[in-house]
This record gives sequence, structure tokens and C-alpha cells, in this order.
Amino acid sequence: MSLSESGGQPVANAPLAPSSGDAGVLVRARGVTKRFGGLVAVNSVDFDIPRGSIVSLIGPNGAGKTTFFNMITGFYTPTSGSIEFDGHPIVMKRRNGMKSLRPHEVAALGIGRTFQNIRLFGTMTALDNVRLGANVHLKSHWWDAALRTPGMLREEAENREASMDLLRLVNLEDRAHAWARSLPYGDQRRLEIARALATRPKLLLLDEPTAGMNASETRDMTSFIRKLRAELGLTVLLIEHDMRVVMGISDRVTVLDYGEVIAEGTPVDVRRNPKVIEAYLGRGAADT
Amino acid sequence: MDQVIQTFIIGLSNGLIFALVALGYTLVYGIIELINFAHGDLFMTGSMMAFFLISVTFKLTPATEPVTMIAVILLVIAAVMVATAAINVAIERVAYRPLRNAPKLAPLISAIGMSFVLQNIANLLAGPANKSIDNLFPTTNLLSAFGITAIAVNFQQAFVAVVTIPLLIALTWFVDKTRQGRAMRATAQDPDTAGLMGVDVNRTIALTFLIGGALAGAAGVVQILYNNVTVYNLGFRFGLNAFTSAVLGGIGNLRGAVVGALVLGQINAFSDRYISANWTNAIVFAVLIGVLVFKPTGLLGQQLADRA
Amino acid sequence: MTTLVVKDQDPYGHGIGGWLSHVGAVIGALPGTYRRELTIHRRRTVLLTVLVILLVTYPILNKLFLAEFSRTTFPLPLPDDTVVTFMMIFGIMAIGLNIVAGFAGLLDLGYVAFYALGAYTAAFLASPHWDSVSIVFLANVAPGFPGIHLPFWIIVPIAILVAGTFGALLGAPTLRLRGDYLAIVTLGFGEIVPVVFRNLADVTFNFSLGPISINAQHLNLTGGSLGINPIDAPYLPFTNLVFNASSGYAPVYLGMFLLVIAILFARNLERSRIGRAWMAIREDELAAEMMGVNTIRTKLLAFALGASFAGVAGSLQASYLGATTSDFFTFSTSILVLIMVILGGIGNIWGVLLGAIALTYVDKTFLPYIGQQVQQIAPSFPNPAQFNFLLFGLILVAMMRFRPEGFLPNRQRAAELAAHTQADVEAKVDEIVAVDAEAEVEASIAEDPGIGLDNLGPPPGQAEASGDARAPETTDEEREL
Repeated sequence: MSLSESGGQPVANAPLAPSSGDAGVLVRARGVTKRFGGLVAVNSVDFDIPRGSIVSLIGPNGAGKTTFFNMITGFYTPTSGSIEFDGHPIVMKRRNGMKSLRPHEVAALGIGRTFQNIRLFGTMTALDNVRLGANVHLKSHWWDAALRTPGMLREEAENREASMDLLRLVNLEDRAHAWARSLPYGDQRRLEIARALATRPKLLLLDEPTAGMNASETRDMTSFIRKLRAELGLTVLLIEHDMRVVMGISDRVTVLDYGEVIAEGTPVDVRRNPKVIEAYLGRGAADT
Repeated sequence: MDQVIQTFIIGLSNGLIFALVALGYTLVYGIIELINFAHGDLFMTGSMMAFFLISVTFKLTPATEPVTMIAVILLVIAAVMVATAAINVAIERVAYRPLRNAPKLAPLISAIGMSFVLQNIANLLAGPANKSIDNLFPTTNLLSAFGITAIAVNFQQAFVAVVTIPLLIALTWFVDKTRQGRAMRATAQDPDTAGLMGVDVNRTIALTFLIGGALAGAAGVVQILYNNVTVYNLGFRFGLNAFTSAVLGGIGNLRGAVVGALVLGQINAFSDRYISANWTNAIVFAVLIGVLVFKPTGLLGQQLADRA
Repeated sequence: MTTLVVKDQDPYGHGIGGWLSHVGAVIGALPGTYRRELTIHRRRTVLLTVLVILLVTYPILNKLFLAEFSRTTFPLPLPDDTVVTFMMIFGIMAIGLNIVAGFAGLLDLGYVAFYALGAYTAAFLASPHWDSVSIVFLANVAPGFPGIHLPFWIIVPIAILVAGTFGALLGAPTLRLRGDYLAIVTLGFGEIVPVVFRNLADVTFNFSLGPISINAQHLNLTGGSLGINPIDAPYLPFTNLVFNASSGYAPVYLGMFLLVIAILFARNLERSRIGRAWMAIREDELAAEMMGVNTIRTKLLAFALGASFAGVAGSLQASYLGATTSDFFTFSTSILVLIMVILGGIGNIWGVLLGAIALTYVDKTFLPYIGQQVQQIAPSFPNPAQFNFLLFGLILVAMMRFRPEGFLPNRQRAAELAAHTQADVEAKVDEIVAVDAEAEVEASIAEDPGIGLDNLGPPPGQAEASGDARAPETTDEEREL
């Protein structure tokens, strides 16, 4: 599917020049709303993610965080609103309703993600999981594959090398040929990140990356995320419940409750915000 | 015009028979999300059994006394319904229940296997040729009592209505009003929670197959008395039509299955009459594909977004 | 630091010279990549070599001692030449269906449609059917002979194109349907195509629009039930050697040649980025989509490629038999190929190949043999050969129950098929624990509705009242993440 906005060219090949306006804002969401029947999961959310920043999205359970993630990645179509990524619209208003780019097109634009409940390809090896992530940028066609042309073989070799590099980055290169589902939990989480990195994203969405981790694993993950931003120039959006992580690495924090933004700002500001305190403590949520 | 009305009446009779079979499809799909491929062949089995009972065991002929005939027919209906119900329950137990946790397509493949088994058993026992009986009903036009001669409604068509309509009503009452019917609806919505609420899920599913099987059996008896002919691969055409009816009406929706069946009865009748029986199956398939591609929730299926 | 960049290179230059050197490099690269594999899987290589030798030398073996053995020592039902040729034909089809059902996880119940399309392509392009014209091109038929006559090696690519195109046409609107609905739709297509071929034998129509007027009386487009015959047999160029039903064992070699190419193609596709994409879609279609895989196009590719294999098989079958009719193409044929795939080992090329060989043997040699014996001993007893599908139906039920991964399982499929119980339990626990209303919404949204041949399939967490329809295509509410 192509966007009329990009001149009818397939999205993956469209020149990635940001539109006029903030070159510094990678994601701009305005008035994003998602209704499921009578339930409003996300209500008129405005959200900006500056390029190169680490932003956390927090809020009690059921606040709509994952739903919002799902809209950015094109999995859900918002009921109304607009989302722009790197100057490209992800959500468009059409005559017969809203239309969203399909998730694979969003991935091609440069958004990678991990999942709240790990969704690796369990019976594929760790290496294959990561290699799959690179598919969106590989160029060989099926006939190149069927004929095993030298071009395809070269691309495969390079992909293999790049994927092993990614596995090295997450310390999994000695488990490269193990089935993904046989890996311990922490390894699986890191593998998921490696797979997301294989899509060569500009924006990385991490859905509760430290869930189920102990203190030292959490510290490792936190510094890993910082490294990703520093060395790969990634922008990161986190959903997190662990306040230490949130406070520790976020440049900015947005708080959702009942689908609405109740606070936004630096971690310190947000922590002191009375509405935020009420949302968490008042509802008896378990964390912090 | 008379021809059109006549075709319409024929379509109505077909549609009612389809409806009985369609309910079996839609009930089973609603409760375990399985397209019971073998259901049409169960219908054929009922038809074959009825053939056997009518022509061999009881040797009914047009000359048999009406009282005897009615008694025997009722007996046959009851017997066949019991038999097909039992067969359906057995099939579920053997071929589907063990696969309940398997990937969705395993029970479908198993159902295809059962379909072949039923067909071939019928072929084995009855041979590949058509089996026919004499028309047991008088051929008088019932409408002539009202002075109408241009179009005809004969005893056979009336018979179809007389048997099928009460069954349809009984089923609807059962599912809506009884405790077991509620259990069926609950299991269809959410088997786990239904189980937690005290519903015996296995028995409820077995009950669904029992009812579906009984309806298919009744439809089989009606069919042989209406068409006077049965054959081992009858199930394919009727199964196709019944399943398309269920999909057209909105799979899982009982009233939809009946509405869809009535529509498909008309499609069959008009296609047979005005195009050619050679094309009817293809047309029905085209309808099926069209519904699935363009309006997968069917005519009476609700849009999910309408849920409050 | 990691390099996430895959370099874009094209060392061959442009123009004809560049293209030629590219082709040269392709051909040069082919043997090398297989050599390594042959050494790694030594046992499989040995078994395959034995099989190939058996197939190649069968007629000699037969003459030397098998026939004698069968006559004197033990009555072996030996497959005759036609049966072995059909082993090749069904082998090609099984590999094609394996791509659709085994690699990509799409159940195609109407595979026979593409078989028919291939056969009729050969029938249209290599027979005297279109007797009002005469197009003879590189065929060993006298010029001026009525009908269109193209040589077999041109017909095969055309059949590939025709079948593949129809596969794409069928797939485009339907591949977004859920697995069981897709199966039914493909079944429909598998019925409609032969019906169309059967009924276009006597077409009469008058069409006039302005100056255009088309008039056809009793036009025989497809031969109907009588079919189209004779169809030109494939022949070896520059020789008089033909490969049809009266050529003895020679057609087996032609079939083997095509089969080997089919195996190579399938193998290469499996171990490439598209093969991985198919695996990922099968495992978790939504996650694959999120990782940048265009799932619809990838599934479409599987469908179209699989269909093209059947097209090859069909064109070979029609040319071999020298005739075709719509009666050859029934739902049972689709199921027979499916059984070969399931019995042999879904997802495993060698498994389905063996399944094809074994089942063709059983269906066309062994059962008829048993039937003959039975008829001799007890003439009134029904002939088992006619009830082959009773056996096959039981096989399907039993396989699904006891060994759905087949006899030569693909390790991944075996694991996927066994994985369900655990995942289902976890899904149920999740559901029960969620108490908070909003949390329940998110959790029920967090359930995977399951798509495809072996995806997780817990009961939908938010199904509607039983009066509602179950949409065969997932909508936002049903989907998770």
C-alpha cells in the first residue's frame, strides 16, 4: 500500500526527509482516540516524542498504554486523531473512516517494538528470529531465492553477519542456534530487543522491558537502553511500571490514566504531580 | 409469473430442509468453532436409513393405508433422529474432542476424514447408484381446494413444512428458554467461564452434537419422502447449501441460519429452473465465497462494534 | 560497534554483458551451495541416492529379477510404468501443496483447481482442439495441422504462469480470512474450476453492442465431460522420442527431471528470507507483521507459488495421458494430495515426497491388487479398491489424532503442534486472574485469537452472545498485543 502523501511510492522506498516543522520531533500524535464499542480506551491524547530522547509512558493498569503503542505501530486504527512519524503520517482520515498504515509499513518506516508478553517465534532459532527482523530491509526477491543467485547469497551472508553482531550486542551469540522458546526469560527479552533492532528502527518501542527482572537485571537493561540511544542514535519509548527505571533513564515522562494524559514532563516534575500520586496511590496500584 | 411462484414454492421446500441441516452447522460452529464437514454426510446417512426403513423394513407403498403410513413415517422420523443423533455424538467423541486443544485446522481435517468415511460406508452398504422410492403421497394439488389451479402445492411440500417448521420452533425454544440451551449459549461465548460457572462443557458440547445430529436425521427423512431419491454422495450438495446458508445468515446465529437457508432454497430453485442444474453448485459456492469475502459476518450477524 | 547496514552492491555492471556475467555467476554458484549440504546430511543423502537409483533403474530391476520374483516366490504388487509416472506427478503436487500448507500454514482444499488449469493449458496449447486455426511452433507436428501446437517445454512455463496467476487471483481477496474459512473458500474454488471446464462444452450466446456483434453457436470451449484429446505428447527435441502413456518407462525420467527442479526450488525457498517469513507467519502472524513482514503478500506468494507447482504437474499429466477431462479433477484429488502431505510429514519436503510415492502406490497399485485378490476369493465381496477413500478418511482421522506431524516430521511443526496445551493453559490462567475491569479489557485484548494452521487458539476472551456472527476475519477488538 502506498501513501498518496509520499507521491504514490511504496513507503519503504520513500525519501525519509521529515516534513516542514519540527525536525526535532520524531513522533507527533494529536487528539488520538480509540473506542472499542462503548469503551474509550484512549481519549484525545496529544503526545510528542523528541528525536533522540528516551520517553516513558506510565500509568495504572488498563490506562491505555499498550493500546496507544498499538496505534503507533499501526496495529490498531484510531477512532480519531492523527499520528505522524518522522514527518510521515501513520494515520490518515479517509472519506469512509480512519485508515492506518499496516504494521509492516510502519516497521519499514523505522519503528521497532517488543511486546508485553514476549512474542518470539518460539520454534525458530535465536539467529533466525533476528534474521527475520532484517527482512524488511532485504532486497532479494523470491526468484533470487529460488535460484540462489550470488546476489541473494551475498545478502544472506551479510544478514547473517549483521544478525550475529546484534546477538553479540545482547550477549546471546553463543545461544544463536537454540530455539527461542528454550531460552531463559531474561534472554528471551533481550532476544526480542535484538529482533526489533534488526528492523533498523529509528524509534524503539519497549513494552515493559524489565517486567519479571530482579534488581541487577533491571540495572543491566537500563544501561543497555541508554547505550542504545547513545551508540545507535535511537529514540526510545518505554512502557514501564518500575519507577526506578522510569526515573532513572527517562528524559520525559507521560502519565496516562483512564486513557487520558494526566501529566507530562520531566521525571521529577511528574513524580511530584498530585494527580499522578492520586492515580497511583488512590487506586491502590501495587508499584512504588 | 405462475412459473415464478411455482419455483418459489419449490425453493421454500428446499429451503426448509436446508434449514434443518444448517442449524446443525451453525450450532456446532457456534460452540466449538468447527466447520463440521461431515454434517452433510450425516444428513445423507439419515436419508439412507429412512430409505431402508421405508422401502425394505416397512415396505410402504402409495397403496398403504394413510393411518399406517403416517404411523410408520412418524416412527421412522423418530428412529432416524435417534440414530443420527447417536452417530453424531460418537463422532464428536472420537474425532473432535481429542483435538480440542489442537490447532484449529486439525479438527477440520479430521472432519473431512469422517466425511469420507460416512460416504464410503454408505457406498459400501448401499452401492453407488441412486436409491429411489415411490412417491408415497397423493399428487393432488392442495390449492385446488381454494380454486387455484395455476400453481400447485402438493402433499409433499406440505409435508416438508409440517415436519420442519415445528422442529425449527422447538429448537429455538430449547436454545432460548431451557437451562441446557442457556448452557449451550454460555459455552459458545466462553467455555472456560461457563465451566467455572458449573456448566459441564463436555456434556454441553455433546448435547449440541446430539441436537444437530437429530435435526440432520429428520431432514434426511423429509428429504427422501420429498425427493424420493437418495444416493451416497447426497451429503455434498446438501452440506454445501446448508453450510452456505449458515454463513449467509451469520454463522453462530440460529435465526440467521434459517433465513440463509430459505434464501439458498430459492437460489437453488431458480438456478435449477432458469439457468441449469449443472451450474447450481458453482453458483452456491460463488455465493459462499462472496459472503465470506465481502460480508463475513453474514446477513444477520451483528457487527462487533455494535456491542455495548 | 555493530553494523546494521547491509551493503547494496551490484558488481556485474549493466547491459547485456552484465546480464550474461550475472547468469554465469548464478550457474556457477549453484553446485557449490549444494555440495556442502550433501556432506552435512549424509544419511539423508544416502537414502535419497538409493531412491533415485531405484527409480532410475526400476525397469531393469523389474526385468532382471523383480518380475520373476513376483511370479514365483512372492506375489508382489509391482507398480507399472504409468503408476511410477504418476508418483512423479503427485510428487510435484505434494511439494507444491507443502509450500502452501507446510511452509506458510495455509490449508488449501481446492488444490485440484490448479492441477486442472495446468492440464487444460496443455490441452489448449497442444492439441487439435481449436480446429479452426492452425498454429504450429517448434512442435513435432506437421505444419497446417489444425489446432495450436506448442512444444512441451514452452507449455510448462505457460502452465506455471496460468496456475500461478489464478493462485494470486484467488488469494488476493481471500487470504485475510481465518484459516478454516480460507479452507472452505479454496474448496469452493476447487469445485468451481472443474465445473466451469465441464460445462463450457456447448456455449451459445449472442452479444451485440453497437457495431460489435459476437455470435457463438454450440461453441465447444473446453470439451466438457468428453474432454479434449488427443493432446500432443512431450518429445525430446531433435529425436523421435516421445513421453506419453505408450512410451513405457521413459516418461518417468521426464517426470523425475521436473520433480528434481521442483525439489530444488522448494528447498531454496525454504532456506531463504521468504522461507523464514513463512515460518514466522505460521508461528505468530501478528508478530511477523509487526516485524515488517508483509504478511498478506507473503502468504499470497506461497499460494501462487504452490499453485504453479500444480500447474506443472497438470500439464505433465495431460501431455502424458494424451487427454484430459473435467472428470479427472475432483475434490478427492485435492484431499489425496493433502493426505500425502499430512501422512508424509507436513513441512518436510522429503516427507511429503515419500508420502506422495507411498500413497500413489497404495492408491493405484496396492489397493487394486488387493481388490483383485478379494474378487477372486469372494466375488460378491465389495472391491476394496473402490473404497480407497474409506481408508484414506480413516487415515486422516487417525493421523490428526495420533500423529499430526506426519511420519517424517519437520521438527518445528512437531514442536508447534505439541506446543498448544501449555500455551492454552497459560492463556486461561491470565484470564482468570484479571479482576479489575480495565485490566480485564487489556488482558482480553491481550489474547491471541489465532490464525493459521498451527497458531495458538484459546477461546476468544470477548466473544459476543451466541446470536452474533463470528467474523471470520479478525477485527481490532479480537486482536491483541
